[in-house]
Amino acid sequence: MSKKPHRLYIFTGKGGVGKTTLSRAFARELNNSGHKAVYLTFKNQSLGETHHATTDTVKDGLRMISLDLEDCARGYVEKRLNSKMIAGWIVKAPFFRALINMVPGFSYLIYLGKILELGKDDPNLIVILDAPASGHALTMVESTSNFQKIFESGIVFEDTGKMLARLNDPEYTKIEIISLPSLMSWQEAIELRASLRERTPVDVAITVNNAFYPLVENDFDALPAAIREKALNEKKLIEENASEMQCILPHSLSTSSGGVESELVGSLSKLI
Amino acid sequence: MALTTKSFEIFCGTGGVGKTTLATSRALSLAGLGNRVLLVTIDPARRLKDLLGLSGDSIGEVQSVEIEGVKLSALLMSPEKTILRMAEKFQTPDLAHNRIVQILSKPYGGMNEILSLVEMEMQFESGKYDVIVLDTPPGAHFLDFLEGLAKIKSFFDQNFVEIFSYLGQKTAKAGKKVFGFGLINRVISTGVRKLLGYLQNVTGAQFIDDFIEAIQIIYQSKEAFLKGLALQDVLKMKEKCNWFLVTSVEQGKAQEAVEMKSHASSFIHQDHFLVLNKCLEKELESWNAETVKLKNLRDSLLIKEVTLKKRLRESFPTILEFPEIMSLSPLDHIQKLTHKWNSYVPQS
Repeated sequence: MSKKPHRLYIFTGKGGVGKTTLSRAFARELNNSGHKAVYLTFKNQSLGETHHATTDTVKDGLRMISLDLEDCARGYVEKRLNSKMIAGWIVKAPFFRALINMVPGFSYLIYLGKILELGKDDPNLIVILDAPASGHALTMVESTSNFQKIFESGIVFEDTGKMLARLNDPEYTKIEIISLPSLMSWQEAIELRASLRERTPVDVAITVNNAFYPLVENDFDALPAAIREKALNEKKLIEENASEMQCILPHSLSTSSGGVESELVGSLSKLI
Repeated sequence: MALTTKSFEIFCGTGGVGKTTLATSRALSLAGLGNRVLLVTIDPARRLKDLLGLSGDSIGEVQSVEIEGVKLSALLMSPEKTILRMAEKFQTPDLAHNRIVQILSKPYGGMNEILSLVEMEMQFESGKYDVIVLDTPPGAHFLDFLEGLAKIKSFFDQNFVEIFSYLGQKTAKAGKKVFGFGLINRVISTGVRKLLGYLQNVTGAQFIDDFIEAIQIIYQSKEAFLKGLALQDVLKMKEKCNWFLVTSVEQGKAQEAVEMKSHASSFIHQDHFLVLNKCLEKELESWNAETVKLKNLRDSLLIKEVTLKKRLRESFPTILEFPEIMSLSPLDHIQKLTHKWNSYVPQS
């Protein structure tokens, strides 16, 4: 009997750790075992000139959603005020745009609202969120409670309250930190986990990706000095911290990201 | 290739590429050349914090550090402390006391970027430094943010702020600090009144009052904010600023670096550098792998690195390569990278 998945997985970690590849592979793996997962990401954090437009597409059997800030903001205001016209007008107002851009935390709130709405509309949907780099997962968690304090009353207050409840519900949400097996990356992951744990009671787990040493474990002597040192450093780090690591994924020899992604599908059950 | 010293040196990158370590070693290299250097960093890993003496009480305050005989100043950004300094310098004490401003200037409250510009401007104006090295928050986020700056500027230009300011004076005279929605309804221009009316439905009336107060207070400090924003124009000048876009072989994402560049093209000048960290090419090339398995490994690593460099060369005028440092000691790390930076400085 396999474990019941959460409804929202927030993947976070510094750029280049393989977050996108991993979160896509994880969504595919869930789908292969009969679940209904969607890979979700968002690009822009300010209401600037570049409008990406929300897209919802299926590629090689995986549903992928890319959210646009302006679309989400308009959708929210429209729903709350029951008027498309007013919503369009508010979102275009220089006042509103300046406010959103002045305070990037607002954008996370808008995205989060949209994500939870998707989950509400479809009670079977599992959202795999490929969140922006480290600090920003934290901003996302923190901005929700900040805005809760700012508003004190009204609809936004109630809505952020609901968001906070979801974000803090260990059954609903899980946060996946992805790290590389290098000392610096690992320490950052540990620090991030500590900061997240201060702010939310949900499960925060670290997965180590792209471990190089399992491939050369029996060939240390045949390696050039620099590469041997790299492998030995990794080995030491992994051995010393194995109990803190949810899962250790080896380096892939595949040179295309699609290849790496399909290699990973099927080996991520620990992330559930 | 000329890597000359400028008044500002900005490091952007997607995080996890060693950006902070590279910025720190660049600062150390510049200090070693006799410059008075301030390193401004946002979120360094603990060991680097310890090395720079930036833990505990020193957060948000400029610290003097000495690393192997080279002196420099370092500042770990604390938005709250920056707000306090702004309030003091521009004599706008309310800025430090407004509830909304306080919440937004928490470490993850979302004002990091704008406040780091303001801080950098204040520090430079002090005249104490020849060079300020800024290690920006991770992500293309900082670039996104710079893109949005023009919009923020408009925040201070719009008529509604003038109206709030006018109302503020009126109510101050009347001895009232917070004013009700009714008064605003009477005075404010139709557009803003409508907007606030709708907002009130969503946010509750108390927020509107608090928010108006926050706007007034921020507006009173507009000189501080606008000076920070004006720095952006200085950063666009070739002779004033070096831009370093940092990526790493480990990260292996040429696309991201190219995107970062196209994103940034409207506000950085052509004289920028791509910093490619964690290069292993030399070691790999000289590795005479004996078994098929090891050969495959070597080739896969080598192909990744060579392909990456080829793609980057198509988009970037200058690439500065840095080797992957295997040492586990942060001091050793910094010193080796500093040495590499020194090798890029033109000999006088």
